[in-house]
Amino acid sequence: MKFRAMLLALSALAALASAPVRADDAKPYAGQAITVLLPPWGTLPKTMTDRFHAATGIDVTIQTLGWDDIHAKILTSMVAGSAPADVTEVDWSWVGQFGSAGWYLPLQDKIDAKVIEDVASSKIFRADGKLIGMPYSNDFRVLIVNKALLAKAGVAAPPTTMDELLAAARAVKAKASVAYPIALPLSPSEGTATAWYLLTKAFGGDLFSADNKPLFTTPDSAGYKALAWEIGALKDGLIDPASTGLTDVQVQEFFKNGQAAIDLAGWVGNLAVYNDAGKSKVAGDAVAALMPSAVGKSRSFGLPEALGVPANSQHQGAAVAFIAWWMQPENQIEAYNTLGDLPTSTAVLKTLNEQGKLASGSVLLQQIPTVEPLFANGTPGWYPQFSSAASGAINQAAKGQLTVAQAVAQIAKEAKQAMSQ
Amino acid sequence: MALALPIIVTMGALVFYPLAVTLWDSLHRVDPMRPGTPFIGLRHYIDLVADENVRQATWNTLVYVAIAVLLETVGGVAAALLLSSVKHGRKWLLAAVVLPWALPPVVNALVWLWIYNPSYGVLNALARTAGLIADNQVWFNDRPAALVLIALVHVWRMLPLTAVIVLAALQSVPGELYEAAWIDGAGPVRSFFSVTLPLISGGLAIALTQSTVFAFNLFDEAWILNGTSRDTRTLLVQVYMSAFQNLHFSYGMALSALVMFVSLAVSLFYILRIQRTTEFG
Amino acid sequence: MRRFAHPAWWLRLVGVALLLLWSLGPIYWAVVSSFTLPTDLTVRELHLLPPHPTLMHYQNLLGAVSSFQGVVTQSVWPLFSRALLNSTVTALASTVVTVAIAALGGYAFARMRFPGRRALFGLVIATMAIPAYTVMIPLYRLLVALRLVDTYVGITLIYVSAFLPLALWLMRSIYETMPRSLEEAAWLDGAGRLHTLLRVVLPIASPGLIAAAILTFLSAWGQFMVPLVFSPTLRTKPLTVLIPEFVTKNYVDYGLMNAAGVLAILPPLLLVAFLNRYLVSGLMAGAGK
Repeated sequence: MKFRAMLLALSALAALASAPVRADDAKPYAGQAITVLLPPWGTLPKTMTDRFHAATGIDVTIQTLGWDDIHAKILTSMVAGSAPADVTEVDWSWVGQFGSAGWYLPLQDKIDAKVIEDVASSKIFRADGKLIGMPYSNDFRVLIVNKALLAKAGVAAPPTTMDELLAAARAVKAKASVAYPIALPLSPSEGTATAWYLLTKAFGGDLFSADNKPLFTTPDSAGYKALAWEIGALKDGLIDPASTGLTDVQVQEFFKNGQAAIDLAGWVGNLAVYNDAGKSKVAGDAVAALMPSAVGKSRSFGLPEALGVPANSQHQGAAVAFIAWWMQPENQIEAYNTLGDLPTSTAVLKTLNEQGKLASGSVLLQQIPTVEPLFANGTPGWYPQFSSAASGAINQAAKGQLTVAQAVAQIAKEAKQAMSQ
Repeated sequence: MALALPIIVTMGALVFYPLAVTLWDSLHRVDPMRPGTPFIGLRHYIDLVADENVRQATWNTLVYVAIAVLLETVGGVAAALLLSSVKHGRKWLLAAVVLPWALPPVVNALVWLWIYNPSYGVLNALARTAGLIADNQVWFNDRPAALVLIALVHVWRMLPLTAVIVLAALQSVPGELYEAAWIDGAGPVRSFFSVTLPLISGGLAIALTQSTVFAFNLFDEAWILNGTSRDTRTLLVQVYMSAFQNLHFSYGMALSALVMFVSLAVSLFYILRIQRTTEFG
Repeated sequence: MRRFAHPAWWLRLVGVALLLLWSLGPIYWAVVSSFTLPTDLTVRELHLLPPHPTLMHYQNLLGAVSSFQGVVTQSVWPLFSRALLNSTVTALASTVVTVAIAALGGYAFARMRFPGRRALFGLVIATMAIPAYTVMIPLYRLLVALRLVDTYVGITLIYVSAFLPLALWLMRSIYETMPRSLEEAAWLDGAGRLHTLLRVVLPIASPGLIAAAILTFLSAWGQFMVPLVFSPTLRTKPLTVLIPEFVTKNYVDYGLMNAAGVLAILPPLLLVAFLNRYLVSGLMAGAGK
C-alpha cells in the first residue's frame, strides 16, 4: 500500500510539474506532448531535447529500441490501428512495405520544398510519389580502419583489394597483438545481412537480376565469393567467434576499444563517434578508406534512415514540427557530433567539409558518387523477410551448421518463398 | 447458473471463439498487407511440412521438452525429498526454492544471458577458474550446447513447480507405511521405490503434464538468449515470426493449430493416466 | 513422520547448500552486477562482490537524467514509471476480476446442480492445455476489431481468460472439501444463496482466495509474449517488455540491464518472501486434485 501511495504522489508531482503552457502564434503546438521512436543512434542528448522544448513548447519523449525490434513494434502497432509513437524511424528497407499499406503521413506538402530538395536521399522515401519520411541519417558504407594499429603492423596504407584486406588483418593479428582484427557482425540481424550485400558489391556483383532472380547461388558469383570470404576470415581467426551472437552496434564497440582494427562495413557517420575522446579509446586513429574491391572499382550503397509520422498519430502538427526542427543545420550538425548521424542536407555536408569538420571528408566525397541504392527500382515489400532469411543463413554458416553452398541455396530458396507470399 | 455465466461468456469469447477462428482461417490466406482472404484448403499445412524452418523448430522444441521434463522431474523430486526431510527453516528454504518460478521469465532469461556472456560472464569465469576450459567459450556457437543452456534456464524456472507439487504429494503419504517398511528391513532407497514412488504417482503425473505443456510453450528464454537463430528457435518463436514479423497470419495460425493438436495429445495421454491412477487411489 | 528413512545429516546439508546455490545464485549475481562499475564488469577475473560499489545504474534508471554511451540524455524514469504503473494496473485488475469470477463460479460448480455442469467444467479446465499462441492471432484480430489493443481492458480480458481455469479449479476444490453443515445452518436461518456465499463461505475459503490471488498476480506480472503483441506502446506496456528493450538499446551497458532486471524482480520477491505460506498452500491445493 505504501508503494502505491508513493506512486500516486509521484504522478501528482509529475502532473503539477507539467502544467500546460498557453499556446501562442510562434509556438502553435506548445503544451502538446509527442513520443518519438528511434534506434539507439537517435537518442538525442538532453541539451537538444531541452532546446526543442524551449523553441516550440512541445514536450518530447524519445523512446529507443534496438533497430531490429523497431520494425516488429511498428508492424504490430500499425496492424492494430494504433500509432506506436508520433514520430518513428522509417528505414529505407521498409519503404516498400509501409508505403503500399498507406501507414504514414505524406510529408511533401508539410515540409519546406527547398529543405526536401536539399536532402538528396529523400528520393528513396517516396512511395507512389508521396514522401513518407524525411531522412535524418545519411548512412552509407565505407571501410574504417585504425591507422595506428595498421602502422604498428607495418601496413602503410589502407587496403584496396579484398586480398590486401586479409593480408592486413593477418599482419595486425601477428604484429599488433590484436586477437581478432576484423569487426563483422554475424548474428541473425540486419547488420549481418547488409554487410554481406556490401561485400557482394566488393566482389563486383549484385544480389538480384532485374527480374528478381538470385545471382548469388553459383560458386563464381559475387555473393557466393563474399560469403566464402567471410567464413574463411572467421576460420582463420580474423573475426571474433563471439560475433555470431553480436549485432553491428556491438562489434563496433570492439573497434572503439581498440580490440579490432578494421570496421569492415563501417557506418560513415561513426567516424565522428570513433574520434571523440569522450566516447572512444581510439580517438584520432580512425580513418575512412574507400571500400576495397576485388575488381578494381569501389562500390558502396546507401542505407538512409528517415523520420516519419504515422497517419493515425494524434499530434501530427507537433510531430511534423519535430521533423522540421531536426532538419535545421545546427541540429543536424550536433546529431552528427554526438551520435554519428551523418547529415542528410547537402548544404550542411559541404559546409562541414569546408570547415574541415567532416571526419575523413575527402575520402567520403570520393565514395559518395559510388553510393547506389540496393534496389534501383525501390525497395520491394518482400525485402524484410528476405533479409532476415539471409542473416539467418549467414549465422548458421558462421556456426559451421551450413556450408557456404548450402547457405546461399537456402537464402535463394527463402527469397523465392518471400517473393511468392 | 447465473454465477457460472460470466465464466462461460469469458472463456467462450476469448478462448473457444478464437480457437475456432484459428482452425477456420488456417484454411484461408489471411495476410493483413494484402486484400482478400481466399480459401486455400490444406495448402498451408502442406507448406508447413515442407518448411525447413518449421522442421528445425519442431526438433528444437522436442529437445527442450525432453531435457526439461527429465531434469525438472528428477531435480524436482530430489528437491521435494530434501524439503520434506528438513524441519528447521523449511519455510525459508521453500521461499528460496519458489523464487525462480515467481520471477518474470523474461528477467530470468536476462540474468542468465549475462551469466552466459562469452567475454564477461560468470559461467566462463567459473569454468576457467575450475580448470574445466582453457579459454572463454562462445557457448551459443555450438548447437547442442546452446540447446542445453537454454533448456537449463527453463528448468531453473520450472523446477520449483514440480518440487512443490511432489512435496504436496509427499505430505499425504502416511508415516506408518515407512515404519512398516523399516520394520521389514528396507533401507532408504528401497523404501523410496516401493513406498514413496507409487503413492506420489498421481502428483508426479500432474507435474509431468505441467512440465511438458510449459516446455512446449517455450518462448521467452529462446527469444532473449538467442533471438531468431534457427538452431534454437522454438515452435512458438516461429509462430511469432511468421505472424508478426513476416505478417503471414494464416500460416502462423496453421502452425499453431498443428502444434496444439500434438500438445493436446500429449496432455491427454497424461490425463488419462491420472484418471486410471486416481481411480484406484 | 519420516524418522526411519533418514539420509545422513551432512548429506542433507550439502543438498540444502546446493539447492540454495542453484535457486539464489543467479539472482545474487544479477544484484552484484547491478552495483558494479562498468569498467569492473568487463574484466576477466571473477569478483564475488563489487570491487567499487556504485549506484550509477539505478540513477540512470530512476534519476532525473540518464546517460547513453557517454551522452547525457533525458531521464528514462517517465518510461520506467509508466511501465511499472502498467504492470501493476494490469496485474491487479486481472487478479481482482479472476478471483471474483472464480470465487462465484467455483461455488456454482461445486454446490449447484445445473445441466452440463461437469462437461462445462471439464471444458474450461481443458483450455489450460491449449497453448497460448493457438488463440493469439485471432485474439489479436478480435481485439483490433473491438479497438481494445493497447488498452487496460483488453489486456485484462486476455489475462482473465488465461488464468481463470486454474483459479476456478482451485476454488472448486476448496469448496468441495468444506463441510456443507455451515451453509445448511445459514439456510435454515433464512439466509439467501448469495448471502450465504458471501458471509459464510467466503471467509472460510479465504486462504484459497489469497492463494488464487497470488498465483494470478504473479502470472500476470510475469507475462511477456502477450504484452509484446498486445501492448506496443507505453500506454499499456509493462515492465517485462520494457526491460528487454533496455537490453537491445544499451547493448553493452550490462550494469544497467542487471539493475533493470533487479527492479523487475523486487515485487515478486517481496510477495514470495512475505506471503509464502499462502502461495505454497495454493499450489499444493491445486496439485492435490
